[in-house]
Amino acid sequence: MNRNPADIGGEAAGPIDPVDHGMKFWEKQANALRNTLTSGKLVRLDELRRAAEELGDRYYRLGYFERTTEAMRNLLLEKGLITRSELEEKIEEIRRRYDS
Amino acid sequence: MSHDHRHDPAKDDGPPSEHEILSRALQEVLEEKGLVTAERVRKRMELFEAEFPQRGSRVIAHAWANPAFRKRLLADGKAACAEWGLDLEADRLIAVENTPHVHNVIVCTLCSCYPRALLGMPPTWYKSENYRRRVVREPRAVLREFGTVIPDDVSIRVHDSNADMRYVVVPMRPKGTEGWDEEQLAAILTRDTLVGVALPRV
Amino acid sequence: MTPSATPSAYTPAPERRFNVGDGVRVKSVSPPGHRRTPAYVRGKKGEIERVCGRFPNPEELAYGFDGEPRRVLYRVRFRQTDVWPAYESRTEDFIEMEIYEHWLEPA
Repeated sequence: MNRNPADIGGEAAGPIDPVDHGMKFWEKQANALRNTLTSGKLVRLDELRRAAEELGDRYYRLGYFERTTEAMRNLLLEKGLITRSELEEKIEEIRRRYDS
Repeated sequence: MSHDHRHDPAKDDGPPSEHEILSRALQEVLEEKGLVTAERVRKRMELFEAEFPQRGSRVIAHAWANPAFRKRLLADGKAACAEWGLDLEADRLIAVENTPHVHNVIVCTLCSCYPRALLGMPPTWYKSENYRRRVVREPRAVLREFGTVIPDDVSIRVHDSNADMRYVVVPMRPKGTEGWDEEQLAAILTRDTLVGVALPRV
Repeated sequence: MTPSATPSAYTPAPERRFNVGDGVRVKSVSPPGHRRTPAYVRGKKGEIERVCGRFPNPEELAYGFDGEPRRVLYRVRFRQTDVWPAYESRTEDFIEMEIYEHWLEPA
């Protein structure tokens, strides 16, 4: 029984879209941020993977970068590197920036 | 502290999604706490965009042109690249060669491990759940979906990069490339040929 | 053994349990938590293709531990027909991956 949503090798699946759809700007930046965190040893790649696996059913509902971003958030909160209120305030601030 | 990434509407594709906002928020909070700098993130972005994707085809073209380098690459990919002046950072590279009897293809079923410092970011199909699910079990059918037909008498070897190593395929050098210089050889060594879903075309 | 200035993909593992060519079987356990041994090869028989070296255990790194002492990592080659009951091919096809020593038993 697979409890790990990432452990999917061999499962039945539909067709593969063989076209590379590239990355949006924010995805490139998210990837660079992730890489900055791991190369700076603030978090481990293994911890990020584990955090993604802990998304459970949500794992399948999210796109690749959505998953890695949520995993990053959960891990940073878990490790106390950021606080929930700091993050929520910042999200609000960014939303206001876009609305103006 | 420069925050030029905050105001780049030209780079945004429409209104930001919830996850785009989350990602920016994470970065800005981390910057404000001094845990990362915008400069460092920007530099990593440039490496992924401009530097890493150029490397793979050059390395394999060099292996095609230079049998001694090829041998070293197959023995220890990371060391061969380091000797050639290429720092693959955290990637521990294993090069696997295609022969008239064996075709290799790479996957990471558990996430998206990929030799990023050699090839840049993996394509969307490599990260897709359906590629990860199916290529280990039915590689021949998957390759056909990429338009690549592997003859019935050629064995297929799938490599699941599930732990610490990263993989690159050394394709067979096609006929018609005799006398080509490394730049010409590199031009036919597309990313897809180095992951194993395509064959180099003259 | 003096460390080389040129980084290698491999590290030494002189006190390893298995050698190239040895038959091994992947343990059929399903422990919870972060594992890098895919479910589809658990319980399957393969052969050691190469010794990669000793690395910190990712199963512990994933939870903030230092992963020491290091564990020996091998590349294991499986025949596709040993992994998938319905696998069909004219040729003998293979699947290869890295498996940590503590996931392997002699076979």
